Amino acid sequence: MTDQHPALSLRGLAKRFDTKVAVAGVDLAVPTGSFYGLLGPNGAGKTTTLSMAVGLLRPDAGEARVLGYDVWADPVRAKSLLGVMPDGVRLFDRLSGAELLAYHGLLRGMDPAVVDQRAAELLDVLALSDAGRTLVVDYSAGMKKKIGLACALLHGPRLLVLDEPFEAVDPVSAALIRDILHRYVGGGGTVIFSSHVMEVVERLCSHVAILAEGRIKQVGTLAEVRGDRSLEDVFVEVVGGRTATGEELSWLSR
Amino acid sequence: MAVPVTVPERPARRVSPWHFVRLKLRVLGNNFRGQTWRVALFVLGLLFGLWFAAVGFFLLAAPGLAGESRYALMIAAFGGGVLTLGWLLLPLVFFGVDETLDPARFALLPLSRRTLVTGLLAAALVSVPALATAITAAGLVVTAGALGGWAAALAGALGVVLGLLVCLAGARAITSAFATMLRSRRVRDLAAVLLAVLAALLGPLQLLVLAAVRQTDWDRLDGVARVVGWTPFGAPWTAGVDVAEGRAGAAVVKLLIAVATLGVLLLWWSRSLESAMVGTASSGPARTPRGVAGGAVAQLFPRAVGWTRRDRFGALVARECRYWWRDARRRANLITVAVVGVFVPLMVNLGGPAFLSEGGAAFEQATADSSPALVSLTMIFVGALASVTLANQFGFDGSSYAANLVAGVPGRVELRARMAAFSIYVVPMLVVIAVALAVVLGRPEWLGVMGGALFAAYGCGLAINAFVSVLGAYSLPESSNPFAMNSGAGFTKGLLTLVSMVGSAVVAVPFVVAAALLGDVWLWLALPVGLAYGGGAALLGAYMAGDTLDHRQPELLAAVTPRR
Repeated sequence: MTDQHPALSLRGLAKRFDTKVAVAGVDLAVPTGSFYGLLGPNGAGKTTTLSMAVGLLRPDAGEARVLGYDVWADPVRAKSLLGVMPDGVRLFDRLSGAELLAYHGLLRGMDPAVVDQRAAELLDVLALSDAGRTLVVDYSAGMKKKIGLACALLHGPRLLVLDEPFEAVDPVSAALIRDILHRYVGGGGTVIFSSHVMEVVERLCSHVAILAEGRIKQVGTLAEVRGDRSLEDVFVEVVGGRTATGEELSWLSR
Repeated sequence: MAVPVTVPERPARRVSPWHFVRLKLRVLGNNFRGQTWRVALFVLGLLFGLWFAAVGFFLLAAPGLAGESRYALMIAAFGGGVLTLGWLLLPLVFFGVDETLDPARFALLPLSRRTLVTGLLAAALVSVPALATAITAAGLVVTAGALGGWAAALAGALGVVLGLLVCLAGARAITSAFATMLRSRRVRDLAAVLLAVLAALLGPLQLLVLAAVRQTDWDRLDGVARVVGWTPFGAPWTAGVDVAEGRAGAAVVKLLIAVATLGVLLLWWSRSLESAMVGTASSGPARTPRGVAGGAVAQLFPRAVGWTRRDRFGALVARECRYWWRDARRRANLITVAVVGVFVPLMVNLGGPAFLSEGGAAFEQATADSSPALVSLTMIFVGALASVTLANQFGFDGSSYAANLVAGVPGRVELRARMAAFSIYVVPMLVVIAVALAVVLGRPEWLGVMGGALFAAYGCGLAINAFVSVLGAYSLPESSNPFAMNSGAGFTKGLLTLVSMVGSAVVAVPFVVAAALLGDVWLWLALPVGLAYGGGAALLGAYMAGDTLDHRQPELLAAVTPRR
């Protein structure tokens, strides 16, 4: 039954913190098998939206469904289909990479033998086996992103939700993460990730949504949104940025 | 149009301590914005502080107000000594240090160490405990002034200011020194021993106080007070009284002692400050042992929990076990429980005074003083104290709790696993404490009563703290200092600790009553009844609090995520 539902559908999601509206009613349908990019400037509400979509933050209004299962009404079914890599959230970083993977696997109710096998494979592919028993807290930023991705992938989810997966990652690791995500989508999985790096989104995504001030401003396939311009031009126009004229900050030049 | 970049020889304006004070006030104010409950807690804390300060003030001012110069020195020396000792020990055990201004935040600014230390010290003055101490100590100035006129009052005021600064600097120096020690893997065992010795200082002090109360041998106490007055603990506080009693020379020397103490403490603090500023994240990748045996799952499970199933519950227990040892903040809590749990029962049950005065013979009499009911009561204290460590168990995790939330861990499994993991460390410790006390008291037949009360209180405490940890969670700063607290959280912590300890004790009180009323039958019944009572309470607590947890997991995550 899950196939006729979108992988992720958000309807009227809204959240306000004190007096500030962070997300003002977001509707989004992420088709199964798509590679979906959620674009937006800093503070647009990307993290808040994704947190509400995966059950980390209770929305004030609206609903989120993963392959038809309501994240807030039927969390067990929805969460078992989800793999999440939140941003700005610590991992249980006093564990080593292998220990962390084992923890996540068992927490998902997986068979220990399968956990062992997949953990070894993931550590190998992500070039993390060399770290041995180093605690995750001592990993570099790129390594932390990679182990976070491994934790999200371990149980073979149908939908991957990644918050800023390419932030603070060096080009080599970024290429590796891109490859893995491509293979995952090629194998029938669905990915939605947030970013503000245009090149990455342009290179990877089949669909794009631009979020600003808590609302979806543009949505559609990459070709629809981009038209015949570059994605960056569209983005800056939609978000409404300004450019420096050169008059101010004159003391910066000698 | 372009103005050349000018590189000033010196900073245009000096950074004074006043800047730090203003910064602290601003941070405090911003913390309150839109957070009514925080304001309420702060006001409550302020009222408590003022109440204690008023009581302390009148105690210390009493000799002056009554014109009774005989006790002036004694009260100044002991009162001041207790204040200083409290400042040194309480942050370690109960309250933590207010790290509103985290030294690491200043690492990139061009500030000299001297500016930074004086600034942080000045900012530390802006806190409820410092205010309360200042008011309390003002009582000494009143005493000195009433007995010796203006000159004495002036010396007293100078001493009080110095004493307050010694307290603040001492608290900072000790906590940051311990933080450094607990961080490094090599000396952490040494740190545990040192903490034990430090807590052991509480013992003699208690004996002294009890001796004073029971024997009222004023002459001898006066001698002790004189000695205390010359130590850094009493020197600043007794200077005023010395002037009043015509020993101006002594007062000058004491003020010099205080200044020297302050200097040494500040030097020590600034040393550890540097390491805190540099090594904020971790002590660096210390070692990378390779060639690990076994798969990922085998690595996760420590040997002590090898018996658990390799499933969700087992994984939670294993991870918690690793964390109680690897996380400096949790380890510091465990060590505190061990130390306080050993010394408090000994102090209470050995009835200090006789011990001090007449040695062996009185020791016999002291052990005879103890009774099953008293022993039960102290064991209930130990059990409640041990379980209160879990009062903010989710706060230890911080935002990493999100992993459990994403995986959809049921609240009941979560809480049961956390109780089990903590008990793996604490239950053996409690058994050792009970056996040791029974041996010291020479009453092995009381072991059943003690064990029963201990485990009943511990189990009830687990249940109550399950609720407290779900409903009253608060975030801890992501600091390298295991004793660091967010501003205002010190009072929250104290309040929650008090509530859950009183709650646990009340639920376990039937065991004291039974020990007092039932007589010898109880010696045999207590242990099985206590185990069943405590175990049942813990399971029931996990069952009911787990349900609550299921309904507020996202709210809990938000509560324990540090604001940045």
